[in-house]
Amino acid sequence: MERDSANDALALTSDLADLRLLHLADSALPIGALAHSFGLESLTACEMLTTRDLPDFLQTYLQEAGMMEAVFCREAFRLATTAASENVWVPRWLELNNLWSARKPARESRAGSASLGGNFLQVVLNLADLPLARAALDASKRSASLVHHSTAFGLACSLLGFAEDRVVLVYLHQSVASLVSSCQRLLPLGQSEAARILWNLKPATIAAANRSAACALDDACCFMPLLDWGAMEHPALSTRLFIS
Amino acid sequence: MAFTNTMASVAKIPGAIASESCTLPRLQASLTLDFARAGFAGHTVLTASHQEPPLQVVRAFAVQDGAALAHLHNVSGGLLGGDHLSLKVSVGAGARVQLTTTGATRIYRPRREALPTTQSNEFAVSEGALLEYVPDAIIPFAGARFSQATTIRLAQGAGLFWWEILAPGREARGEVFDYDCVEMKTDIGALGQPIASERLRIEPRKCSTQSFGRLGPYRTCATFCIARVGLGTAEWLALEHELREQALPLTEHGETLWAISTLPAHGLMVRCVAVHGRHVLPGLQTLWQTAKRRLYGRDAVPPRKVN
Repeated sequence: MERDSANDALALTSDLADLRLLHLADSALPIGALAHSFGLESLTACEMLTTRDLPDFLQTYLQEAGMMEAVFCREAFRLATTAASENVWVPRWLELNNLWSARKPARESRAGSASLGGNFLQVVLNLADLPLARAALDASKRSASLVHHSTAFGLACSLLGFAEDRVVLVYLHQSVASLVSSCQRLLPLGQSEAARILWNLKPATIAAANRSAACALDDACCFMPLLDWGAMEHPALSTRLFIS
Repeated sequence: MAFTNTMASVAKIPGAIASESCTLPRLQASLTLDFARAGFAGHTVLTASHQEPPLQVVRAFAVQDGAALAHLHNVSGGLLGGDHLSLKVSVGAGARVQLTTTGATRIYRPRREALPTTQSNEFAVSEGALLEYVPDAIIPFAGARFSQATTIRLAQGAGLFWWEILAPGREARGEVFDYDCVEMKTDIGALGQPIASERLRIEPRKCSTQSFGRLGPYRTCATFCIARVGLGTAEWLALEHELREQALPLTEHGETLWAISTLPAHGLMVRCVAVHGRHVLPGLQTLWQTAKRRLYGRDAVPPRKVN
C-alpha cells in the first residue's frame, strides 16, 4: 500500500490539507462512529429529550462537553508539535489520555470514545506514515491506556500538518453531526430538519472552538449531569440501538 | 486566623473565579487533621490537629466499628465573601475515619466588591485506610461566588466513600439558582493515577441550568465516589449492577434520577439529580450501606447528628 511520509505531509497544499481533513472527519470513515449515542439513547428512551428540545440540548453540548473535547483535542495537537524525544513525549501522551478517561464518569461513553480513538489512529496509520502516532498507539496498548477520539484526532492531524484551529473546528463539527445522526435514528427527526439543526449550530461550534484556544486543561469545565445520567444508565436499557 | 488584602491566596486555587481587585480584608483559615490507627486495639484516633477559626473540630468520637468520627464545624455559620478556607486531612495506614459537617455549608451573599469565596480540601488516605466523607449539602445563597478545589490521594488498599451535594439555593424562600457562580474542581487519584476528575462551573445567570443537557427540571445534584484501591474491574462491575438494582426504587422520573458507573479503575461513581433535595441524602445513605457491606463486610454507620 502506498502511504504518505511525514515529510510529504508537512508540504501539503492548503487544498490538499482541506480535503484530507474533511476525509478524516467524515462519518463514512470506518471507525465505528455511528455505533455510539453517548447517552442520547437513554435520554430519548425516557422522553427526557425530544425533537423540540434538540437544538437547545446541542447548543448546551457545545458549550460544555464539546468545549471539553475541543480542549483535549488541542492539547494533543500541541503535544505533537512540541514533541521532544519519545521518552519524554510518550508519558505525556499517556498522561493526557488517562486524565481524559478520569474526566469521563460514564463507563460506556469512556469505552466508546476509546474505541473510536483507537480505530481512528489505526485508520490514519494505514493512510500515512506517522512514526509518532505509531509510537503513541503502541505505548497505549502496552500500558493498557485508552486512546480517546479527540486526542487521537488532534495528534494525527497535527502530525499531518493541518492547522490547529481548523482541526478543532472540524472535530467539533463532526462530533455534533454524529449526535444529530444518532438522533435521526432515535427521534422523529427528518433529514431536512436534521440538516437545519446542524446548519444553525455552526456559530455555536465556532464559539466553542474559539473559546477552547485559550483554555487550559485544568480550567476546562463541563456541567451536563443529565447527559452523564443518560450515558451511565445506558447499560440498563432493555433494548438498545447503540453500543454506548 | 489571618487576614490579608492580597490576591495571593486566590491564586492557590487554579482557575479560581476571576474577580476585580479589592481592598476588603480576606479571611484565610485552615484546619489540619491527622488520624492514625492506635496500637493493638486498632481504634483510630486523632493524633494531631491545627485549627484556625472559624474552622473547628471539637474532638474525634469513637464509632462502634473502631473508626473515628469528626464533625467539621464552621463557627461563623457559613462561608463569607472573600473567605479562603483550607482543609487538610491525613488518614494513616489502616485507620478508619468518618468526617461530616454539622449542617449545610452555607455560602453567603458577598459584598459586591468582595473576592470570591474559596475552599480547598486535601485528603490523603494511606495504605489500607478508609475515609468516609459524608457532609451535608452546599447551599449557595443569592449572589454567591464560590470556588472549591478538592484533591484526594489514595494509596494501595485505601478506601473512599465521598459525596458532595449541591443545592440550588435557599429553596424554602424561593431562592433558586440565584447565585453568581459555583465552580468545583475535584481530582481523585489512586497510586498516582487519576481515577476521577471533575471540573464544573455553573453560572445560572449566564447559562440556563434548565437546559436538558444540564439539569432540565431538576435542581439538586450529587456525586458519590466509592473506591477501594486494588479491586479488579469484575468486582466493580458486579457492585455497579448491585447498586443500580438498589437505586431502581429510589428513581422516579421527573423527581429523582440515580446513575451508577464504574470508573477507569479502583472505584465507581454515583450521580443523582433531584427536584427536591430531601430525597438525595436518604438515597446516598442507602447506596453507601450496600457498598460498605459489599466492600468491607460491615455496616455503614451514619454520623450521629440532628438533621
